[in-house]
Parts: sequence; structure tokens; C-alpha cells
Amino acid sequence: MRRARLRLRPALAAVTATSLLAAGVACTGGSGDSDRVRIGLLVSLSGIYTSVGEDMQRGFQLYLDTHDGRLGGRKIDLIVADEGDGPATAVPAAQKLLGRDRVVALTGLVGGATVDKVQTLTHERRIPLVGANARPEFAPVAGAPRDLSYTWHTSYNSDEPGIAIAAHIKAEVGGGSVYAIGPDYQGGWDELRGFTDTFTELGGKLANPGGKTVFTPFPTTENFLPYLNKAAETKPAAVYTFYAGGPAVAFVKQYRQSALKDVPLYAAGFLTEGAVLDAQGTAATGIRNVLNYSPTLPHAANQQFVAAWSAAGHPGQPTTFAMASYDAAAVLDRALAAVDGPVTGETLNAAIATVGRIDSPRGDWQFHPSEHRPVQRWYLREVRADGPVLSNVLLQDLTTLPAT
Amino acid sequence: MNTLVITTVDGIAYGLLLAIAAAGLTVAFGAGGVLNLAHGTFIAAGGYIAAAWTAGTWGSLATAILLATLAGAAGGGVLAAATAGLRGRGHLDQALLTFGIALVGGDVLTAVFGSDVLRPRMPAALEGTVAVAGYRYPVDRLAVLAVAVLVAVVGYVVLHRSRAGRLVRATVDDRAMVAGVGVNPRTVDAAVLVASGALAGLAGALTTPILGVGPGTADTALLLSLIIVVCGGLGSVPGAVAAAIGVGVVQTVGVVTIPALAPYLLITAMAVVLLVRRRPVPGQVT
Amino acid sequence: MRAFTQAVAVARLRSLPMVAPLVVAALAIIVVAVAADPYLHTTVARMLPFALLAVSVAVVTGHAGLPTLGQVAPYAAGAYLTARLALTGIDLAIVHLLCAAVVGAVVAGLAGAVLVRHRGTVFLMLSLAVAELTAITAGQWRAVSGGTDGLAGIPAPRLLPGLPPLLGDRTVLLYAATITIAATAVAVWLLRGDRRMLLTATRANEDRARASGHPVNAHLWMVHCAAGAMAGIAGTLLIHTHRWITPADVGFGTAALVLLAAVIGGARSLGGAAVGAVIVLGVRDVVAVEVPGHAPLLVGALFVIGVYALPGGLTALPARLRRRHRRHAGPHAAAPPTAATSVRSTS
Repeated sequence: MRRARLRLRPALAAVTATSLLAAGVACTGGSGDSDRVRIGLLVSLSGIYTSVGEDMQRGFQLYLDTHDGRLGGRKIDLIVADEGDGPATAVPAAQKLLGRDRVVALTGLVGGATVDKVQTLTHERRIPLVGANARPEFAPVAGAPRDLSYTWHTSYNSDEPGIAIAAHIKAEVGGGSVYAIGPDYQGGWDELRGFTDTFTELGGKLANPGGKTVFTPFPTTENFLPYLNKAAETKPAAVYTFYAGGPAVAFVKQYRQSALKDVPLYAAGFLTEGAVLDAQGTAATGIRNVLNYSPTLPHAANQQFVAAWSAAGHPGQPTTFAMASYDAAAVLDRALAAVDGPVTGETLNAAIATVGRIDSPRGDWQFHPSEHRPVQRWYLREVRADGPVLSNVLLQDLTTLPAT
Repeated sequence: MNTLVITTVDGIAYGLLLAIAAAGLTVAFGAGGVLNLAHGTFIAAGGYIAAAWTAGTWGSLATAILLATLAGAAGGGVLAAATAGLRGRGHLDQALLTFGIALVGGDVLTAVFGSDVLRPRMPAALEGTVAVAGYRYPVDRLAVLAVAVLVAVVGYVVLHRSRAGRLVRATVDDRAMVAGVGVNPRTVDAAVLVASGALAGLAGALTTPILGVGPGTADTALLLSLIIVVCGGLGSVPGAVAAAIGVGVVQTVGVVTIPALAPYLLITAMAVVLLVRRRPVPGQVT
Repeated sequence: MRAFTQAVAVARLRSLPMVAPLVVAALAIIVVAVAADPYLHTTVARMLPFALLAVSVAVVTGHAGLPTLGQVAPYAAGAYLTARLALTGIDLAIVHLLCAAVVGAVVAGLAGAVLVRHRGTVFLMLSLAVAELTAITAGQWRAVSGGTDGLAGIPAPRLLPGLPPLLGDRTVLLYAATITIAATAVAVWLLRGDRRMLLTATRANEDRARASGHPVNAHLWMVHCAAGAMAGIAGTLLIHTHRWITPADVGFGTAALVLLAAVIGGARSLGGAAVGAVIVLGVRDVVAVEVPGHAPLLVGALFVIGVYALPGGLTALPARLRRRHRRHAGPHAAAPPTAATSVRSTS
């Protein structure tokens, strides 16, 4: 405690000094507000989501590095904090960023549960939250829907991949049925519900007994073979799934060893996104999946992004996690440029609402006016050899979500 | 119906895989007197080494398994040195120490091998599937099954037929007696912990091709091993093997036959085994 | 300052050694509360439910001699019940605390009916099963728990009807500290005299205690229930200080951290357990922010150092220092080794 207070003194001094300066600047007509701006980046740097967290950090840093360390003409102090495995470690870290470092915006956030808890903190303090990974379905607070006025996401809602691919799968299987399987936690429930609800609305039939999606205990399930062999008994025309990280590797490998081997496998793109694809190897070949990004997209913005990624010495191809975090920096760049006068949570938040179209590696997108998440295209990808490496190669556009 | 047969076979194979993972833990507890919560970390270390070393050839696979085993043995040596000073201070202090080692070790593993999930590159012959009694079954699991049986046999022979094994069993029964025949029981303890670490490293190398290895591996491996060791009767190797097969079957046949209870199944099974097996309480302080 | 002199006067008046640590704790909280730093207030307030849970674990582990991971079950019951009450509009803190204490005692009573018949490692593993089942149930029972992502935005409680909700950082800190210290004081008071002796005797030689006609298991069960009530109150504090909850907060991870915090504190000392919890969280949430991503490394190092540097835990430190001092003073002054110094060999 004592150490914390000792360390706090310079921070307080800095804050006092900058606010005095800001006041002085305001008096002289507010011309040179080139003060430094503090941004908090909260991502998992320890625990089971570290891989995703590091990717997001790389994405944000890449934007900063390719823009002279400045966003909107202002020098950025990026303060990184560790989200760990979830809210128990993420909330103290967020409180430190908000309370001690006085950041004017918070970005990153790997886990859905973390978003759910940290959102209430940033909202209370009127600090914009620019999340760059899956947004969960927010539960209402005290009976009212969650107020999203200070909440933005450059990524997607966790039920969107399933919604986006349902019509395509329906067209492919025709009258055949689809087996749905996923991990037993909120992210898995959202991802699978997005698919099964949309698919059945379109007249599709689930192969699962009773039409109920099979959920495997998370994160303890590592042996999927019995589930897969059981699924094969229902003779599905295709399988739809969502897994990420370690379970994604085990699932894909064991799928190719199971009785389902030759049944087409469709998935939310996270199943084969990033480093897991290297570990899966050729077992992943032919998996068709849906995501808002593919490193093989032909846009100029993407080619620049991929080239910058390689030039920075990062391994492999950039992922949707890195891309969304890169875009979070782009959003802040434009918003900070639009802030006239001192940068506070309020002024920055108002500016974010005005950023308009973002020229992103994924293609152009803009924020939904009330839900504050991207209106963006979703792509069908297939795992194929792209030169010497396996890649999620773009097959076709699927749809634009959310419909406005 | 048909699937149930192959699933049961898989349950037993998976159980034997878990048995190797748990064997080291039960040996460390029964003969070494140490409750090792860093066991999962040793397994993960073996897995990482195997994943980093293999290059798709038989030679690299053999070297990788050997290196993983040696690394595990080294970990066991560290454990022996670290716990030597804690004799007589109870299992909670050991838990504190070994949990600390596990946390530090996990951080070191991530620093060395990165945070991604890794999987070894296996010889092509092991990547396919074969027909077993009309069903398709992965070759790598069969290979692991064979190795597991081999390890169990070797372990049994060493423990019951060799002088080293007799010394270990004697140390468990009567330390003073062992000291009487001119052997320092602490040396036996240390040797047992080294062997236990080697088993953990080997288990890591064997499981990684099937399950992959990543930041979550240590926790899962430790939890499953603990459950197996406790259900099998602490310190008993045959008990652990039986319990491991039980866990394997619960995790395969159980979860697909009673999917509604899948999340609860394993823990409930453990609790039931502990309760059914319980001995009368008076005077019994294990 | 007046609070300080009064407190010292009270301590001197009673001259009870048990009161002194509580007074020190109260003073520490007052010092923190006086500082004009909301971040510090939030940080300390966040640690208090965990500290009270550690106290309840120390009661079961240190005094009853049963190393437990299962106190997260009554903790979870108290927390989720408080959350549900607050979400349905019942926002009186005292109602939350009482309900949580009752439900905590009931849950601990049910679990204890099975658990207290066992000892040592079997008890530990059964309590591990309790912890795992608690977290799994919390994740699966979506209507109550909100599922694996848990609940957020839980309304703040009120101290009295008509008063504003407990929202200010300093207010929440003082409120949580009052409850934590009061509950710990009650536990210390309950565990004095004959009860303490009986538990010590049971730990030392259960057969003899049994032979002397003491219904050992019944005693242990009652201790387990009382500790459960305390864990339930800690659950209420978790909601009142955090205003969110996830199943991970009531699972094995929390249980293990709390048990080890109690061991670091010196499992038989309730205050020591609370301090141990504050140290562990301080390392994880305050010190480790300077090196993002390495919190596990620092906590692990803390455990390893703790084992070697603090045999017998934090609270055994003064006694060890004194003994060392005497030994240096001369061989004749050396105190004979006492049973009290061989702390916590529970299995």
C-alpha cells in the first residue's frame, strides 16, 4: 500500500501539472493542445488466452509504430496491463489503468466476461471502452438494457459468425441435417446459438438428438473422439463448431481421426485462426469457416497491413485479433484528430461517434449508430496451402452484419 | 451400439495415457512422501520439449522422448532438493512450495516456448488411422497404448524384482530398517522423486501428439492426475492404473451416454469413490 | 488520533493479546481511508472479502485441523444469494449479511455432514470436489448465476432504508473493513478458552479426545458450520465491494489461493490468515502490474520464499525472532521447544 502511494505521488503531480497546463492553454485560446495522451491496453498476457492477448498487443503497437507513435497528431503513452484469465485479475488491472494511470480510453479486452465487468467501470467513469475482441450478449443492469453510450467494439458480437454462415450451409446441405457441437461456456453458447437459431429459422434441420446442441465441458475436455464418433451415428451432412486455442487443436486433429473424417466441417473462423493452424497442420485442410477477415483479402489496406506485419518480424500471418486491435488504434487515431481542445473521456467519446468509415484491412466498415459495433462484411474462408504455409484463403463474401 | 465398443476401447487407451501421467504423482506421494502440485508443470515441460524437438522423423521422436524424460528427471531433482529442507513440516507446506514452483515454472515455460498451442510433428506412419475390428482408430493412440503397457510392465518389474525397487518399498514400510542396512533413506526419497519427474516428462511427451500442449496443459494434467491418485489410493501404482482407466472410461463412455451430467461426472465419480472406500474414522489420521 | 488513544486504552484495559491485532488492523484501515486516493480505497476494499474468506478457511484448517478447499461453497452461496436479493430490489445490507450467513451455514452444514468424517488428504480431496462442483453449478445454473460470464452491474446496498446506496470508494472501504474486522473479532472470541483447548486436543490426539467422551465429529461439524456462516458473509462482501461475480471467483483457483494465503499467514492465526490474503492479492494485483504478464511468477516466488523464510507462517515470526534472540543471549536462556511452535502438520 505504501509503495503504491509513493508511486502515486508522481502520477498525481503529473496529472495536476497537465491539468494546470491544459487550463493555461485553454486561457490562451486552445491552439496548441499537443499534450501526450494516455491509452490503456488491457489484454491477457498470462493464462490460457495469452496467445490472443499478445496478438492484440502486436496489432495495436503495429499501428502506433507505423504512425510515428502518434494518434491524431498526439504523442501516445500506451499503458499495457494484464487481463489474465478473466475478471478476477482483469478488473483490478482495469481499475489501475483508470484510477492510477488516468487513461482517457481503454482498449483490448480478450474475454467476454471481462468485457461484461469492465464495461460497467468505464461507463461509470465516462471513459470510452474500445473493445477489440468478441462482445458478449450484455445482460441488463437493474432491469434496463445496458447503456452503450461509452462502449465501442471494432470486432463483432459473439453470435455473428454463426448468423453469417447459416444461409450458406443451408444452401450447401440442402435437405441434409447439420450436427452442432461446441464448448460449454458463454462464448460457446453465443457462437452456437447464432448458428442454430438462424439455421433452423431458414428451415434447416439439426442432426443432434432433440435438436439440442452438444456442449463439451470447458476447458477440461481434451478427448473429443467419443463425441465425434457419437455424432457420426446421426449421419449428418455437415458439422458446425466453434473452438479456440488448445481445444481447437485437439478437436481438428481428432476430427480427422474419427468416423466423421469425410463429413464437411464448418466452423466459426477462430477454429483455425492464427497459431492454432500451425499446430493443427494438414488435419485442418479443407475446413470451411466464417470470419470478418482473411489475410488473403485483396484490398490495398490489407496488403499494407500484412506487409507491415511481416516487416515487424511477427511470426505467421496477421489474425482477426491483431486486425481488430489495429483498427481500434485507427479509430482512436481519427477520433483524437477530431478532438478540439483538451482530451477527456467525454470529448474523445463524442469524437469516436464521428469517425465515419474506417479503411480497414478487412475492407471498409463503420460503427452501427446505436450498438457501436462494426457494420461489416463476413467472409467464407477455406484452409488451404498458400505457398509453403497453410492459410485461411478467401472463398467468397457471405453477408453484411448487422443489417441496418 | 457399435460406437460404444470403440468408445470403450478409446476410454481404456485414454485411461492408460492418464495412468502414465498419474503414476509419477502417486510414486512421489507414496514412496517420496511429497504432494507435488508442480507435477502438471513437469508434464507440460515434457510436452513442450517433445513439440519443439520432433521433426517428423523416428529419430527425432525418440530423441524428443528421451529429452523430455531427462528434463522431467531434472525437475524431480530440483523438487527433491527443494523439499529436503521441509521434512516433518506437513503437506500444506509442501503444497505451498510446489504450487509456487508450478507458477514460476509455468511462467518460465511460456517465456521459453511462447504462448501458442504446440503439437509435435510425428512420423507420417503415426498420423493415420487403422481399422480395429471394423472400426477406425488413430494409430498414434495405439502406439501410446503400447508404450503405456510397456511402462507399466517395466515399472512393475523394477519395483518388485530389482534391488532398487525393494529398497523403495522398504523405505515406505520402515525407514529405520533401510538405514540399518546401510542405505540413507533420504537418498531413496531423492531417487524416487527423480524417477517420478522422469515419468511426468515421459507422460508429457506421449500425450502431446494427441492433445497438444499450451498454457492450460499443466492445470488440466494436474487436476486429472490428482483425481486418479486419490481415487487409486494414495501411493498405490496398481490402484492408480485402475483409477486412471476408470477416469478414462468416465471421460469417454460416461460423457456421451449421459451428456446432461457431463460437467459433473468426473468430480462426482471421484467423490463417490472416496466416500465408498472410506475407512472407519476413529484414530485414523492419514 | 482520538480513535487511536481510545483504542489503545481499550486494549490496555482488557489487556487481551487477541485485541491488539484487531486494533492494528482497524488503524491500518483508518490510515488508508484518510488518504485522498480512491484507487487505494478500491484496491484495499477489493481485498477484504478474500481476507474474510481466508479467516474462515483458517478456522477450519488451522483450528479444526482440516485443510479445506471447500469454503468457496458457502462463499458462493452467500455471494449469489446477495446478488439475487440486490437484483430483485432488496438492498438492505443487513438483510444481505444475515441471509448470507444463514445460507452459508446451511451449505457448510450439508457439505460438512460428509466432510468432517474424514481427515487429511481424503478430506482435502473431498473439499476439492466441493469446490469444483460449486464452480460448475455456478456456471450451469444460468437462471440464478448468469452462466459462466456471471453477473454484472449488481445494485449497491443501503445501510438503512432511505440512506443513499453504498457507492463512494471510501464509504465502501470503511463498511467492508468494519464487517471484516467485526466478523474476525467474533470468530476470535468464539475460539477462545475451552473451545480452543478442545480443538487443540483433537488435533493433537483425536483418539484421546474421543476416549475422554468428546463427540469429536459433532464439534468439528459445528466449527465447519460457523466457518460457513463467515464465508457466507464474505460472499456478501464480495458482491458489496465488487458488484459483479463469475463462477471462477468461487472455484478451485480461489480456494487454492485462499488456503495458501492462510498457510502463509500461519494457519492457526485468524488475523494472520487475513494478512496473508492481503499480501497474496497485493502481490498479484498491485505489485505485479509493474511487470504485466508475470503475476503468476511473482505469486509463485512469494509462495516459495514464504515456505523457507516463514516456517510456521507470518504469525510465528515474532516468536522465532524472540527465540533466536534468546539463543544469542546465551545457552542457558534458551526456551525449551514447545508444542505450540510445531504448527500445522495436518496430514
